[in-house]
Amino acid sequence: MTPRELFGVHFSIWPHEFVFQNWSNALQRLAPHALTSFVVSLATSALTLLVTAPAAYSVIWLKPRGRKVLQSFMLTSQMLPAIVFVIPLFVVFSRANLVNTLPGLILADMTLTVPFALVMLCAYVQEFPYELVEAALVEGASQWRAFRSVVIPVMISGLVTIAIFSFLMPWGDLIFSLSLITDSSLQPLILELYKAVGQYGVDWSFLLPGSVLTAIPAVVVVLYASRFIISGFTRGALR
Amino acid sequence: MQTVTPIGDAKDRSGLAGPVNFRALKKRAGRSQRWFTPYSFVLPIVLFTLLFLAYPVIYSVALSFRDATIDTFVGGDMPFNGLANYQQSLSNPSFWRALLNTVLFTFFSILFQFTIGFLLALFFQNEFPLKNALIALLLVPWLAPILTAANTFKGLFNEIGPFNQIGHLFGLPNLPWLADPRLAFIAIIIANIWIGFPFNFILLYAGMRAVPLEIYEAAKLDGAAYWKQVSHITIPMLKPVTVSVLMLGTIYTVKVFDLVWIMTGGGPANSTHLLSTYAYQTGFSVFNFGQAAAIATVMVLLIVLLNLLQLALQRK
Repeated sequence: MTPRELFGVHFSIWPHEFVFQNWSNALQRLAPHALTSFVVSLATSALTLLVTAPAAYSVIWLKPRGRKVLQSFMLTSQMLPAIVFVIPLFVVFSRANLVNTLPGLILADMTLTVPFALVMLCAYVQEFPYELVEAALVEGASQWRAFRSVVIPVMISGLVTIAIFSFLMPWGDLIFSLSLITDSSLQPLILELYKAVGQYGVDWSFLLPGSVLTAIPAVVVVLYASRFIISGFTRGALR
Repeated sequence: MQTVTPIGDAKDRSGLAGPVNFRALKKRAGRSQRWFTPYSFVLPIVLFTLLFLAYPVIYSVALSFRDATIDTFVGGDMPFNGLANYQQSLSNPSFWRALLNTVLFTFFSILFQFTIGFLLALFFQNEFPLKNALIALLLVPWLAPILTAANTFKGLFNEIGPFNQIGHLFGLPNLPWLADPRLAFIAIIIANIWIGFPFNFILLYAGMRAVPLEIYEAAKLDGAAYWKQVSHITIPMLKPVTVSVLMLGTIYTVKVFDLVWIMTGGGPANSTHLLSTYAYQTGFSVFNFGQAAAIATVMVLLIVLLNLLQLALQRK
């Protein structure tokens, strides 16, 4: 569908002209930014799991002191608006030369994913059969060893669900990349599409296909893991 | 839930088959459990939390008491100016407009998201072909980037866009959706309802599934009509789920930023700002970080208040 047809005088519900040119143009222009987004999202997701999975296990089963403080702080941070984090992070990152770097953006995105992942994982870990760890301990394994070879394999479906969410959150993020990334070669996908508006008027033939293309990871996830997500999410949210 | 055996404690092992050397067990298990083991698991998250969650929040509150504009920021001193940021923010009508907008936006979004989600969840209790595929499809608006929905709705609400064109077929006049303050506000609420109703649907759907079928069967035997069953069984049984859904929905809606920033940017004439977009504009377009931090702190207080409200409701 061409912009002329979409916003033209003779409107039609069903397009008469199909123009695939728009899609290939959008794809070409977005590909490098999609790669940036992919790297940022993957790194955020991996680091989030690395930080939260052992923590959730410990909080529920090893019961370190101060765990209640940690849990309620995470629950609260999850509810805080991103603006509370983005202003101080911008000021601090400017001084630490982390503005306009991907590690800076990844750390900022983790302020979204880490609280979410810990809260959700605690719900999963609670259902873990701890006898399995005890058996491993009796065999002489250390807690870390038991965590690696018993807890992780049993928890894998929960970990995958959280990994997917921790990937999709930075993928769709606008506020952190908008504030922390100004170098156009480092712009993630969403930011490139956001900036496409207003520069030379709205180019619908780029914007609409581009916006649909950014939804691809979400669609892929839904196709492969919808059942996972529904059961996992309801368990975490309604606890 | 299983009972928890303290780690390294072999007392409850008596159920094990065969002769067990308890002392050896205790010794071996004890070796793997030192006092610092639980802490080594949480060390990374504690470091991250202190550096990137707690410190920024404290810094943000501190910034709200400082004169932090682009000049003082580059100069580096950002002097203390007491409550000046709060005074300036609270005396600005744009702030009160944004606060009112946030309340209205949240109220109407939740009202419709919940109603649509509830009715759909009710409908999906029936079995019909392609049901699971449809549920999966409903997840897409919620998991896809907000930008996808925001830009699509921006196109739909365009002056000569599809919504107006369809209205035209029914003889309606062209509405300047995103150019008129009141219509633009309605437009962002409609877009937000579309984004948020699946979240309500999924949680309510799962909640309804958890209601034991026997209760419905008993009601059917007594000849209760469908809507009687809904109002006397489903709704009361769903009360805890409803409280959670409404509270989570409210907190997530108060946080909304992307949708409004992309669709209207707070315009026309600052009429559709929410607190989040207003704070962002103050910080990153006007470059008054101190005032932006003050508005952000007001938002934090608002969310703390909502949390206390939830606690009070749940205790009832």
